[in-house]
Amino acid sequence: MLWKDKYELGVPIIDAQHRELFQRVGDFLKTLRSPVSWEEKVNSVNETLEFMKGYVVEHFHDEEEYQRSISYPGYEAHKEVHDDMVNYVQEVSQEYESSGYNEKLMQQFGGRLLSWLINHVASDDQRIAAYAIEKGVAGGEG
Amino acid sequence: MRDNVHSLFLEATRNVFQLMLDLSDISDRSAENFPSDEGLGISIGIEGDLTGEVIYRFPNDTSLSMVNIMSGMEVDSVDDFVVSAISEIANIISGNVLTMLAENDLKCDIQPPVPSKPDENGGYELQTIKCISTTVGDVCLEIRLNAA
Ligand SMILES: [Fe+2]
Ligand SMILES: [Fe+2]
Repeated sequence: MLWKDKYELGVPIIDAQHRELFQRVGDFLKTLRSPVSWEEKVNSVNETLEFMKGYVVEHFHDEEEYQRSISYPGYEAHKEVHDDMVNYVQEVSQEYESSGYNEKLMQQFGGRLLSWLINHVASDDQRIAAYAIEKGVAGGEG
Repeated sequence: MRDNVHSLFLEATRNVFQLMLDLSDISDRSAENFPSDEGLGISIGIEGDLTGEVIYRFPNDTSLSMVNIMSGMEVDSVDDFVVSAISEIANIISGNVLTMLAENDLKCDIQPPVPSKPDENGGYELQTIKCISTTVGDVCLEIRLNAA
């Protein structure tokens, strides 16, 4: 996954987390898509999956904290979007484990995650920055 | 407003393509000669003040290029990963259209993306096919809606 400058919010702590998030999701997808058999890669897929999942939750939490700190009016709606994604990740993970690590489930999950994350960072998260700049509270949080 | 629903879908598609894929060179094209039986057809069901479905049709080359742009990885077949990534884009576009409809006092909900099926009902009040052309290929939207 490629990081683009247009994803920058201008809030140093969130921008650093987004870069890290893209890195971890990118590593997960690279492993998921590597041209070897599923048996050969399933262990590394599971490792990068866990490494990425933990960070998603951490980032969502920190970003919600930041929104509260600037009294972002879209906080509730944004938290709902985060919660829906966390629930989806948890549901897929459970199904994936009880299926004995079915590849199709993970490929579908990876594809959706790719599009979801780009849209969320490029669109929903940008609105936090737009508000912070408008209110003159951007930048001081790093 | 209702007669303009298709233009909201086109506008939302353009916006998402620009935002997510950095594709800004997008023009309208005629629906003629669009290969509807090959490639990916993704249906998003709509309920509420408008009821029916919108089908997004992506030729395989278009799907592959889109996923390549987003992931930075080469993809050579429209597999489960690609179908899911493109389905999520159809979901995102449709979600943005809902927001635009709500601003025009039309309240609707969408259903999760599913593979499109041939039309069995027919006779929709709003039935149209709109196509756009991008630097990574064409996309067609087939709109089949009834007012509640
Ligand atoms: Fe974020
Ligand atoms: Fe967010």
